[in-house]
Amino acid sequence: MSTPLIWILLPMLAAGTSLFFLRYRYILRWSGLGFGLILVVSGLVLPINEVFKFLFWEVKLSEQLLIFGRRFILSGADRPIVILLFSLWLFWLFIMDPKLVPTQFIPLSLAGICLILTAYSVEPIFYGALFFAFLALIYVVLLSPPGKEPTPGVLRFLIFQILGMLFILFAAWLASWIDLNSGNQVMLARSLLILALGFSFLLSIFPFISWISMVSERNHPFLSGYIFNTYFLGVFLFGTRFILEGGWIGQGLDIQLPFQLAGVIMLSSGGLIAIFSKHLGRLMGAVIIAEIGRSLLAISLFQAGFPIYFGMVILQSISLGVWSISLTQLQQGIHDLDFQSAVGAARLWPVITSGLLLGYFTLAGVPLLGGFPIYWALGSGLSFYPLWINSIFVLSTLGLVYGGLRLLGVLTKNGGEESILILAAPFYRYLILGLNVLLVLIGFLPQLIFRITRTISDLLLGS
Amino acid sequence: MSDLLQSLLLALLFLCGTGILIGSSRRWMTGLLALQYVEVFLFVSISWPLEIAVVKLVAGWMASAVLFLTYQNMIEAEPESRFAANPSGTAFKGFAALLVGLSVYSLVPLALRWFLGATSQQVLGGLWLLGLGLLQLVLSRDSLRIIIGLLTVLSGFEILYATLEASVLMTGLLAILNIGFAFLGAYLLIASNLEESP
Repeated sequence: MSTPLIWILLPMLAAGTSLFFLRYRYILRWSGLGFGLILVVSGLVLPINEVFKFLFWEVKLSEQLLIFGRRFILSGADRPIVILLFSLWLFWLFIMDPKLVPTQFIPLSLAGICLILTAYSVEPIFYGALFFAFLALIYVVLLSPPGKEPTPGVLRFLIFQILGMLFILFAAWLASWIDLNSGNQVMLARSLLILALGFSFLLSIFPFISWISMVSERNHPFLSGYIFNTYFLGVFLFGTRFILEGGWIGQGLDIQLPFQLAGVIMLSSGGLIAIFSKHLGRLMGAVIIAEIGRSLLAISLFQAGFPIYFGMVILQSISLGVWSISLTQLQQGIHDLDFQSAVGAARLWPVITSGLLLGYFTLAGVPLLGGFPIYWALGSGLSFYPLWINSIFVLSTLGLVYGGLRLLGVLTKNGGEESILILAAPFYRYLILGLNVLLVLIGFLPQLIFRITRTISDLLLGS
Repeated sequence: MSDLLQSLLLALLFLCGTGILIGSSRRWMTGLLALQYVEVFLFVSISWPLEIAVVKLVAGWMASAVLFLTYQNMIEAEPESRFAANPSGTAFKGFAALLVGLSVYSLVPLALRWFLGATSQQVLGGLWLLGLGLLQLVLSRDSLRIIIGLLTVLSGFEILYATLEASVLMTGLLAILNIGFAFLGAYLLIASNLEESP
């Protein structure tokens, strides 16, 4: 028995089996919630590399699985990642409305989490790029539910991810060649350039950002939200491990500046798109692009930035979650997600639109909401770096806030319409309210989040 | 394999890749794709033992078969499933393929410095497929063409990567990826006709 068997193969098997029961959506959701809870608890309590008693048997859980000479390792230090990923899945499954979200979300999203864990755990780490290609295949199916044509954004996503995989595999081979010719700076620069290109495709760094807006505009808001949340988290985890294990930092290279440059480009792109967006979906895309930029900036701070990054992940999940369910519910009342169609929606459906506004403003970094203390910490960390980085950081945040204010104006404008249509079941209205309260609470008590994220980053970096 | 044979194979590979790019019939495209996998297999077999190289052929043919069977079934439901044939578009694509071919050819001496164990034909073949596949991806919005473009890009990469590393796991995963692309292509072709989910 080994940890990859329990946290990768077993859930993958469960995901595969549940594909046969898609017609029983409620049973599937409830059993998924139970299974997810078991996975999270197992991540918390299962001892690794120690003998323990399970019912009648004495079991020892090894931390690695060997397949065709390659090792898949999930050690005690990786526990936070296992718990984080399964908790995210559990959260999205909990907030999912089975009536409005395609049922295949349950098995495919679980399979996606397993593939992220596989990519994270494989050794040598560059094999992980291949698992991201499989993940892209699964997410394309998830974003193209039965009865719908695949959108151009989804196809572009697929192309970029596959190209990214090829570049990373090639760069990894070049890097291994450098070991034999150590000191060859030209080869090192070449392999770094190819690697950067590969990760730019995977992380959709400018100019490869187009698919984010396209997907957020044309695809199901809940599915898009989930994919943005988990896919980029997976790539960041994989990338961090790739850099740490590949010894790229120890080569005397300055990778901080490229990270910061890419970060500010992404953040400013997000801010600009938010200013000019006239579509609720595209606004989500703008925030996601900005979040990628902020994540890059946080990671560029290395040890000091990891707690901030994980804080952003937790916050992003809650905010995107509340935004996605609100948008999914709102779609029932308006014919499309253009600003024109959403005029006056806050007067008709105040609870649902409050979810949209709080989710957005949290990610924009408005004071008193959960995002503010985390972005403040990021800004404080960046204050030791050149002024242009800090200026773009502030201006882009203002751009995001401006986009939110326009959204507020549209939603609260008097459209002269009256509707007696009640959107969303009471559970989802209370859920949106509950998540709103949580976002405000995090704004007042950020130390709770930082305590968790410091533990996560200490465990990861300690490994 | 002799130089002459490799050169002949190379010419055939370029013709196949270009045929897939400019072809307007789905059946022809799949047929050419299957033929392209034979050439990929032969190029890979220069660097790898035959029994491992044959995995590429089997996976490629399976991928082609999955795609072929999918729209074979679709044709029964929808008799007209040809891409719109457009003479000026075809000429443009042919010209673009020629340009890609020439520019890749000029890159070969440089590329040979990176792929030390490879023959010039292998490098040229791999780069041609990469170029033609990318061209397909750039010029098309149709999901089937995009999948075939990705399969072509992957084939080119596999030829080049085979000259660098021979890992059983990598071979297996790339083979699964090829078949996965084909299944994804099949799903995307029929997805809009399936019963709608919420």
